[in-house]
Amino acid sequence: MKKPKRMAEENGGFLRASGEFLKKIWDNPQGRTGLILIGFLGLVALFAPVLAPYDPYDVAMRDDKGLAPSLSHLLGTSITTGQDVFSMLLYGTRVSLCIGLITGLAIGALGSLLGVVVGYAGAVADTLIMRVVDVMLVIPTLPLTILITNVFGKSYVVIVMVFVLVGWPSLARTVRSQVLQMKNNDYVKAAELSGAGKGYIMFRHILPGVSHLIVMSTALTSAGIMIAEAGLSFLGLGNPTTISWGKMLADAQSGGSVLFGQWWTILAPGIGIFLAVFAFMRVGLAVEEILNPNVRRQSQVRKLWKHMNGRYLDQVFASMEDEP
Amino acid sequence: MKLSYVLQRILHTLFVFAIVVTLCFFIPRIGVEDPCERYYPSQGNMSDEDYEVIKQLTREQYGLDGSSWSQYVRYIRQLLRGDLGNSYQAGSPKVAALIAQRLPWTLVLSVSSTLISLLLGILIGARCAARRGGRGDRLLLNASTITTAVPSFFIALLLSFLLGFQWEVFPAYTDQNMVSGFGWNWESLGTVAYNAALPVLSTVIGGIVSYAQSTRNSVIAVANASFVVTARAKGVPRNRVVYRHILRNALLPIITSLGMGLAGLISGSVVIEQIFNWQGIGTLYLEANNNNDYPLMMGIMIFMTAVALAGNLIADFCYVLFDRRVTLGRERG
Repeated sequence: MKKPKRMAEENGGFLRASGEFLKKIWDNPQGRTGLILIGFLGLVALFAPVLAPYDPYDVAMRDDKGLAPSLSHLLGTSITTGQDVFSMLLYGTRVSLCIGLITGLAIGALGSLLGVVVGYAGAVADTLIMRVVDVMLVIPTLPLTILITNVFGKSYVVIVMVFVLVGWPSLARTVRSQVLQMKNNDYVKAAELSGAGKGYIMFRHILPGVSHLIVMSTALTSAGIMIAEAGLSFLGLGNPTTISWGKMLADAQSGGSVLFGQWWTILAPGIGIFLAVFAFMRVGLAVEEILNPNVRRQSQVRKLWKHMNGRYLDQVFASMEDEP
Repeated sequence: MKLSYVLQRILHTLFVFAIVVTLCFFIPRIGVEDPCERYYPSQGNMSDEDYEVIKQLTREQYGLDGSSWSQYVRYIRQLLRGDLGNSYQAGSPKVAALIAQRLPWTLVLSVSSTLISLLLGILIGARCAARRGGRGDRLLLNASTITTAVPSFFIALLLSFLLGFQWEVFPAYTDQNMVSGFGWNWESLGTVAYNAALPVLSTVIGGIVSYAQSTRNSVIAVANASFVVTARAKGVPRNRVVYRHILRNALLPIITSLGMGLAGLISGSVVIEQIFNWQGIGTLYLEANNNNDYPLMMGIMIFMTAVALAGNLIADFCYVLFDRRVTLGRERG
C-alpha cells in the first residue's frame, strides 16, 4: 500500500493519479492483454455496422433459418428468424461494453465519492449511509432487479440504474474503511494543520490514495455487470428490442438450438461474453499485481470472483470487504 | 459472548429487516398505480360498472383497498403472524404455502452442489497448495481463469446441449412427475438424483474451482506459520502436515463464509432452474414476475432477505465463537 500514498503526495490530482495508474497497467503483461482486448472489442462495437456482413435485425430471411456456418454466413444463422449470427455477435458487443463500462464507471464514481465523504467527514452522514449500505447488501440482488424492471419497465436506463443502485454500497464500504485508515496519515494531518479545508483534503489528498481501488473496482464491476446483463437478457428480462449476447442465448434456448444440435447459436454469444469478461478481469488482476507484487497469484481478485457466476453480483461485492 | 453484543446484533438485524420489508412493500406501489389494471388488463365485454365492481372486489380480496398506509399496517400485522398474504394465482393460494412447496426442491439443488463443490474443492485446493507450482496447480489456475469469465448459465446450456441432447446421458428438462409422484423410496430418490444431475453439475464446476482456489490460497497463507515449521522440523510427513495441521486452520475462513453463503443457497440458481425447468424458488419468482404477481414477488424477496440476515447473524456469532482474537462489539472494518 506504499505506492498510492506516494502518488498522493507527489501528484495531487485524482485524474493524474488515475492516469499514471493506467500506464502502470499497460506496463503489466496481464494488464496489457486486457487493455488491448478491450480496445479491440471497443473498435468492433464502434464499427459494427461496417464490419457486419448482414443486417442483424433483418428477420426477413425466413428460408435461411438454422443454417450451419459457411462462407456466406460465417457463424451460421439463428434458428427462429434466420438472422446472421456473426453480425449479431458483432452488434452484441455494443450492449455489453456500453452497459458494462457505463455502470462500472457510475458505480466507481458514486461508491468512491460516498465512501470518501462518509469516511473522512463522517458523523451523521456516516451512520446514515452505512445503514443504507447494510440494507442494500442484504437484499437479494437478482430478485430486486427483476422486481424493479417489472415495475418501471425494461429500458436500458432503468437496468443501468438498478445495477448502480445495487452496486455502489460495497465499493463505498471498501473505500470508507480505506479512508478511515488514511485519515491518520502524517500528510493528511499536515494538510489539516496548515489550514486546508475538508473538501480540499478529500479531493487532493484522500481521493488519489484510493484511486487504485476505484480503477480495480471499475474493471471488475464492469465485468460482473456484463455477466449480470447477459443473465438478465437470457431470462428475457433485459431490453427486448436490442440484440445482446444474453438475448441471443435466450433465443437459441427457446428456439430449440440445443434440441436440434445447432451449436453455433450457443457458442458464439458465449465466446463473446467470455472475451469481454476475460478482458476486464485481466485489468483487475493487473491492478492487483501492481499493488502487491509479492502475492502475485494469491489473488484477492479471485476471491472477489468467487461464485460470481452463479450468485450474481452480491457475492462479488460482499467479498470485496476482504480487501484490507 | 457478551449479551449486549448479541442483543445489539439482533436489534440491528431487525432494523435492517424492517427497512427491507418496507422497501419491498412500496416499490410496486410507487410504480404501479393500480395492480388491478395489470390483473384485469382489458375490460372485455363487461360494462363499465361491472368492471369497477370486479376491480373493487379484487382489491378487497387482496388487501389493496384503502390508503397505502393502512395497507402497509395490515401487511405488517399479517407478517408478524407469519402470513405473507395471498398470491394472484388462480385460487389465490397463500404465498407462504407456495414458497414452502418449492423450497425443498431448490434446497436439493443448492445443498448438494454446495456440499460436492466444498468437499472436492477443499481436497483439490489442499493438494494444489501442497504441490505448489506443479502441474495440478497450474491447471487449477487456468481453470479458474475460464470458469470465472464464463457465466454459469452458459456452462449449463453447453451441458444440456452435450449431455442432455447429443449424448442423452441425463435429462435436459426436469421430469415433472418427479415432483408430483415423489415418495420417500429409493426409486423416487433415484429419479431426483437423475434429474438433478445436470443442474448440479453446471453449478458444481464453477464451485469446485472457486473453493479449490480459496482453499489453496488460505493453505499457503497458513503454511508460513511457525507451528508448521515446527511440525516439519520434528519430522511429520509433508502430507500429514498439510491435511492435519494446516488445513484445519486454513478452513476457518471458508467455514465462516458458508454462513454468509446461506442466502445463496436459496437465491443462487434462478437461471439454472430456468434452463432445466426445475420447479424451485427461482422459477417460482420468474413465474410471479410474468404474472405481475406482486404479493408473491414481495413474499419471496422478504423470505430471501430473512434467510440472508439469519445467515449473516450466524456467521458473525460463529466468527466470534471460533476465533477468540475477535474483539466483541466493535465494528469490523
